[in-house]
Amino acid sequence: MQHRTVFVCQGTGCVSGKADAIYEALQREVARQGLSHAAVDFSGCHGFCQQGPNVVVEPDGIFYTHVDVDDAPEIVTSHLRDGKPVERLFYRDPVTGEAVPHYATVGFYQKQQRVILRNCGHINPENVDHYLEVGGYRALRKVLSEMTPEQVIEEIKRSGLRGRGGAGFPTGRKWEFCRAAPGSQKYVICNADEGDPGAFMDRSILEADPHAVIEGLAIAAYAVGASEGYVYVRAEYPLAVKRLRVALGQAHERGFLGNNVVGSGFSFHVHVKEGAGAFVCGEETALIASIESRRGMPRPRPPFPAQSGLDGKPTVINNVKTLSSLPVIIDRGADWFSGLGTEKSKGTAVFALTGKIANSGLVEVPMGTSLETIIYGIGGGIPGDKRLKAVQTGGPSGGCIPARFLDLPVDYESLAAIGCIMGSGGMVVMDEGTCMVEIARYFLSFTQDESCGKCVPCRLGTRQMLEILTRITQGKGRDKDIDTLLGIATAVKESSLCGLGQTCPNPVLSTINYFRDEYEAHVKEKRCPAAVCDALMISPCQHTCPVGINIPKYVAHIATGEHLEAITTVRERNPFAAICGRICHHPCERRCRRGELDEPVAIRSLKRFAADWYADHAAELPDPVPFPKTRSQKAAVVGAGPTGLSCAYFLAHLGYPVTVYEALPVAGGMLSVALPEFRLPRSVIQSDVDYIVKRGVEIRYNTPITTNYTVDDLKREGYQAVFIAAGAQRSQRVGIPGEVEDVDGLYYGLRFLRDVRVGRPVRVGRRVAVIGGGNVALDSARTALRIGAEGVDIYYRRSREEMPVTEVEYDESVAEGVRMNFLVSPTRIVSADWKVTGLQCTRMALGEMDASGRRRPMPVPGSEFFVPADTIIAAVGQAPDLSFLPPDSALERTRWETLVVNSNTLATNVPGVFAGGDFVTGPGMVIDAVAAGRRAALAIDKYLRGDISRVEMYDLKAGAAPQPPAREAEGEEAEDVWKAQPRVEMPVLPPQERKGSFQEIELGFAEERAREEARRCLRCDLET
Amino acid sequence: MGEVDKTPRIDTAQIEQVLAECREQRWPLIPILQAVQQRFGYIPPEAIHLIAAESGLFPSQVQGVISFYTQLYTRPRGRRVVRVCRGTACHVRGGKTILKLVKQALGVEEGETTPDYEFTLETVACIGVCALAPNIVIGRDTYGQMNPKKVAQLLGERRRE
Repeated sequence: MQHRTVFVCQGTGCVSGKADAIYEALQREVARQGLSHAAVDFSGCHGFCQQGPNVVVEPDGIFYTHVDVDDAPEIVTSHLRDGKPVERLFYRDPVTGEAVPHYATVGFYQKQQRVILRNCGHINPENVDHYLEVGGYRALRKVLSEMTPEQVIEEIKRSGLRGRGGAGFPTGRKWEFCRAAPGSQKYVICNADEGDPGAFMDRSILEADPHAVIEGLAIAAYAVGASEGYVYVRAEYPLAVKRLRVALGQAHERGFLGNNVVGSGFSFHVHVKEGAGAFVCGEETALIASIESRRGMPRPRPPFPAQSGLDGKPTVINNVKTLSSLPVIIDRGADWFSGLGTEKSKGTAVFALTGKIANSGLVEVPMGTSLETIIYGIGGGIPGDKRLKAVQTGGPSGGCIPARFLDLPVDYESLAAIGCIMGSGGMVVMDEGTCMVEIARYFLSFTQDESCGKCVPCRLGTRQMLEILTRITQGKGRDKDIDTLLGIATAVKESSLCGLGQTCPNPVLSTINYFRDEYEAHVKEKRCPAAVCDALMISPCQHTCPVGINIPKYVAHIATGEHLEAITTVRERNPFAAICGRICHHPCERRCRRGELDEPVAIRSLKRFAADWYADHAAELPDPVPFPKTRSQKAAVVGAGPTGLSCAYFLAHLGYPVTVYEALPVAGGMLSVALPEFRLPRSVIQSDVDYIVKRGVEIRYNTPITTNYTVDDLKREGYQAVFIAAGAQRSQRVGIPGEVEDVDGLYYGLRFLRDVRVGRPVRVGRRVAVIGGGNVALDSARTALRIGAEGVDIYYRRSREEMPVTEVEYDESVAEGVRMNFLVSPTRIVSADWKVTGLQCTRMALGEMDASGRRRPMPVPGSEFFVPADTIIAAVGQAPDLSFLPPDSALERTRWETLVVNSNTLATNVPGVFAGGDFVTGPGMVIDAVAAGRRAALAIDKYLRGDISRVEMYDLKAGAAPQPPAREAEGEEAEDVWKAQPRVEMPVLPPQERKGSFQEIELGFAEERAREEARRCLRCDLET
Repeated sequence: MGEVDKTPRIDTAQIEQVLAECREQRWPLIPILQAVQQRFGYIPPEAIHLIAAESGLFPSQVQGVISFYTQLYTRPRGRRVVRVCRGTACHVRGGKTILKLVKQALGVEEGETTPDYEFTLETVACIGVCALAPNIVIGRDTYGQMNPKKVAQLLGERRRE
């Protein structure tokens, strides 16, 4: 029978998961069963604490994760006794869900190269024999017996090793200075005061491989000529302190420390000093002061500790990781080590990968590995379908790297070039739900707290910066705050005494540099784009909604059956309840806190329910009456799309008489002409438009504003304010050869959809090719299938991830049979006899990141191919059409043929004329159009009142929302609150019934189901 | 402070004993303070002049060292210290809310001790168990992947003990 040893991880992380009890249970079980071929031992941290408690069985290399005490008998019986590994405890790949039995093949470890962490998790840290078995103390014997101190220094210099504590000073040169310094008494110190929040590699190493650190310290001592050493370790790491003391005792016992080390005549004694909780003591001069039992304050350098350190004697201070690299460099040689990494940064780097990441833990890779490899290759990416926003390196001394630098090779130089530092190796991943201003505030609150107070810039500067950042996150930011912050940050950086002060402004500087728009949203709009800053919002969903609907309130009304109140609440901020209930891209759901537990509340579908309920009961309900007209000034709106009608609705709400001029015989704009019936039925649009008209908005159909009947004419007719919301209805050309407008079989998406919608005869061939990847492209493809196409292919030059469409839209298109061809770019429209015959295409590959953080598609040479098609629908984007403005119009235009407007008030350069929505921004989402309309209404109101202040749109808690039903009893019920309960599924028309039918696909919730879904809301709005 | 803190009477013989134990060490002040604290749970004000005399320092200098380090205390603390980690990883995974909940559960603010001297609430910069964020430490035990339910369970349970 094979002898097996089961190693239970006994790092701090796993112990918090009761790994000590698992260890005992395994021992008991092995003893009870009397197995002679099995041993139970423990190891230090594997660096994969998130999967803990971890158990490894050797020599099989089987890796068990999330082990529980109750699993012990099964592991012993099945694996140790019968040789059958316990499958249900295998690691599961977070991306594929596949079980991975072997430690060595776990994706997290596979792509790592472990040099510093070489022994972590593989040996018993409290057993010196284990360390000796893996070649421990061989390097120390070698330097003592074969090398002079100068040779050791030379070897380390040749290896290119740089200090792993953060600053990256060449270790060999530091030693050389110390060795050359006069004096017979010298010291070496191991800096294990790992204070950076978010970094835990030093703890892991001390817990898992303490002898490597001791051996490194002894080598350093020999090289510089020191006979005494200190380990300064954080008291917050009790287990590390304990293991270190155990290892020191063993090393002493075996003759690796003490007088006459291994008979070489070299003597070396090590003392442990426990810190007392001061972050600044990680700075070398402060650390020395602390060892000397003084207040741990830094002093100016020079003299550097290498000349005058502990007790005024020459002293070398090295970080834990630097020291534990030494034995392996001596053992395998400088050339081997310098073969790893980049030109100036040799060897490997250890990162503590944490935050919003699938696999969090310790990661060791060669210097120069790209962020992408670390985050996606090893870390498994961002959980929960969220987007990466930034990566923070170097803790409070480092900076935030925006997602567009994902290609960056990580080493000392490249990080410094973008305003970050390697630091101690903390790497915190942040997704779209992280507020960058809040993060800067968080780091400043830390450094302000830890600033020792000795030098003025740091003491006062950190306080001032913190005060300003706090103010901004509370919505009290002032216009000049961002510039003031930059000024203070620069001053603190340049004039502080020690590393703490010199680097603490980095989080502020880098977030302002890369995320200035977030700062501005907080200061100017009092809005937190990530919906994090509590003081600015009532609930994340409401805050994220572009129009700020009081979502928790209407959801609560639905839950209690007060559906009229629900729809009224929606309409306070959005007159298009029925429409948005169907096609809104619902950014609110992405921020829904329920989504952190299981799935977000189906907010959009609930809105639809409320709107449909209203439509169904309209006959019994009182007819809506016009808003009272309290103002005498008149306003005109150009265009009856969602932007224009929203503006008109809110102006009417404010008491103004409003008239909307619409060129077409129908209202709804793009919604009426471009959205296919199966996504948005005509009757639904009509019901929202009818409601708006009933509230007192006049719409003049078939009344286009043209070069003959102009905006100026409107003003002459007595309208004191005009809002232009003419939309973006001009199809953009693809811009490839063969794109001739009158060739038979070539359509533009918008025209195609409109013609189908208004019932014009449109014929498509058997094979349809659609160019583009947005809403219009998908809608065109699905429409083509419904009017007789046999096969529809979409050709999109980017990948699925970049498609600006919702999940539901995409999934439904695929279910209906639309074929997606990603990374394909058409290069020519091929036709014969004025009839389309096909599309010449080239394949694309994703290249470097562009400024938007998306990878730029690049053509793959020689990948051209031809696809036959009878019909080609081009849907590559739409743009505003300014041709209705007379050439001599005074309205200022941009280079891109749009109007210049003030982003806050939407005012043009002509007083009284405002413009917004797609007409200004290009095609956007319907809820953004409604938001633009509301903003315009507020701005016009201010303009007409002569108020020149900014438009401010705060979240309002209008009216009391129903309280959630009282929980019946404590105990049982309280448990229930947290039980995972996925969202109620939306009933849909089966795909096979959709072909040839324009019936609406989503069928809506029945009342009971809607109330059930509404009850899933966590009611963040009630949180105090 | 309204009321003078009532601290228990201190047995100075114990302090003398600590001083004797540390006499061998070089730069003994911080180790002495740590040892005294280990024994009493805090550094009794009565101990300061004894330590100063032993170290050849002014009492104010000893006080200066004590006040510099966050983990040296001059007031008695709860039987169990609850430390909420506010490290970066804990922060981005909701540590702030955990702190709020712990405050609610214990009814005290940061740095305060419950009237029954059962719990003291503190925050800690980082305990290095970032992979299990958010974390709290109670006494010597670390509890990872905290959520509102676990806070309620843990502190409810602890209260009953």
